[in-house]
Amino acid sequence: MGYTRARVAEVLDLAPSVKMYILELSRPFGSQPGQYVMVWLPGVGEFPVSVAGEKGGALRLVVARKGRATGYMHERVAEGGYVFVRGPLGRGFRLDARKALLVGGGYGAAPLLYLAERLSGAGATVHAVLGFRSREHALLVEDFRRVAGEVWVATEDGSEGFKGTAVDLFERVFPGGGYDAVYTCGKELMMEKVVRRAVEAGVRVQASLERIIKCGVGVCGACALEPLGLRVCSDGPVFDGETLLSLEDFGRYWRDHSGRRVPLPP
Amino acid sequence: MVELSVEVAGLRLRNPVVVASGVLGVSVGLMKRAEDAGAGAVTSKTVTLNPREGYPNPVVYELDYGLVNSMGLPNPGAEEMGRILREARRVLGIPVIASIGASTPDEALRIAEALEGFDALELNASCPHVKGLGADLMSDPDAVYGIVSALKSSGYRVFLKLSPHGDYLAVARKAYSAGVDGFTAINTAKAMVIDVYARKPVLGGVVGGLSGRAIHPIAVRVVYELHREFPEVPVIGTGGVEGWVEAVELILAGASAVGVGTALKRGFEVIGEILGGIERYLRDEGFPSVESIVGLAHK
Repeated sequence: MGYTRARVAEVLDLAPSVKMYILELSRPFGSQPGQYVMVWLPGVGEFPVSVAGEKGGALRLVVARKGRATGYMHERVAEGGYVFVRGPLGRGFRLDARKALLVGGGYGAAPLLYLAERLSGAGATVHAVLGFRSREHALLVEDFRRVAGEVWVATEDGSEGFKGTAVDLFERVFPGGGYDAVYTCGKELMMEKVVRRAVEAGVRVQASLERIIKCGVGVCGACALEPLGLRVCSDGPVFDGETLLSLEDFGRYWRDHSGRRVPLPP
Repeated sequence: MVELSVEVAGLRLRNPVVVASGVLGVSVGLMKRAEDAGAGAVTSKTVTLNPREGYPNPVVYELDYGLVNSMGLPNPGAEEMGRILREARRVLGIPVIASIGASTPDEALRIAEALEGFDALELNASCPHVKGLGADLMSDPDAVYGIVSALKSSGYRVFLKLSPHGDYLAVARKAYSAGVDGFTAINTAKAMVIDVYARKPVLGGVVGGLSGRAIHPIAVRVVYELHREFPEVPVIGTGGVEGWVEAVELILAGASAVGVGTALKRGFEVIGEILGGIERYLRDEGFPSVESIVGLAHK
């Protein structure tokens, strides 16, 4: 699979160090919520990004500034410019919920927005808990309000909505909510708590993992999870709760660029 | 009932399908999945003395007829790989071949000493996209002689992985005189991809290695030549084994076992498909065992 050249139709500042890019695709990717694409900036680098939406030949990506290539994208790729994209890659969320609670942290809200649109389009009831550091860092909240029945926002400093973390707020709304599915994306330590709680309650839960992705097609092993040898790039990035809890790595380890297992970054 | 098990340089494998170096990374879990899928042996990712991060992305490019990669030998270094291989030894029942990347005898010995839990070493003399290692050894038969000699005199079972480039038979001769136990042939072929719209090389490492279907006939030729010149030295034939036909072809050319790498992109099930195909072929053609057809194309 080669690259598709995509024109940048729109760039929006969502939060400090987080931008949204609307890309015009020459062919539809047919992506599913939870899948990702690799964005290549020729001569600079390539990085994975979850799809935040795809509609009518337009791909929506939320890019957080994290390293050289994403930094270059933020500074140098403007409306009218081009990027190169391969995908969609990986396995996304199962879309069989009737009443779903989505729990997002930071830019982890992006793939959940796509999921919320699809679930609600399929007639499911969708509620969302979104957690951010502060009001300044809150993103996509209005987009969620358009498609979700309830949207609760938590900020760590209390500058908007509930004062506390996404997990604190989740702990309040989840019990008694009557949800048949929980979907989460964000910091892994946050997701670990959400997954554990949902599994204990007997509610189906899926989480989207982030790892260093190199090949993206399951051959290099750079993103393998122990001890099951699951590859985040191709067996995931979305896994169900029982599978995640049976892994040594979930909430504890990831792999650095050399492939060495190191403690999860905070 | 046909016999699938083979002996390769004193290693008894339950069947001839070996997972090639590079595709499983450093994951014991992935090696276990390969074993559960039926593999006869697994090869670790090439380990160097010190950790390497490899090249920046993009590191792979998919073609209809193969894969070009410039991973750049990312690996956590010999000490950490030692821990991984010990764990692999505990979990796996099949032989583990440890691929090593070294440019001097001393370095090779230090890596080998730091590793444990492997059944054979495979000296990677052929990675096409890393300077000072791999392919550079292909242009220095004396260096190969020195490394193989040192490893052999320390009692290791050593395979030499050859590239299709350069005078690989000259390198093989030197390794043979140093007492090499077997050859693995071939590594990827030097290649490059340019995106016509970006008008730039795609890979972060610029030059990469071509694997998969595209290089299979090259692998057949190299294996055939190795078997003709060194009929008593076992060869693990690697390159473009997408199904049982390519596997049987390499065995007929002289391979005692076959490496599978790029095909695993389609899933671990390809191992079982290849094995099933080899078994059917042997039965239908009236051969009692895999070993009975090794090098048959030379007769």
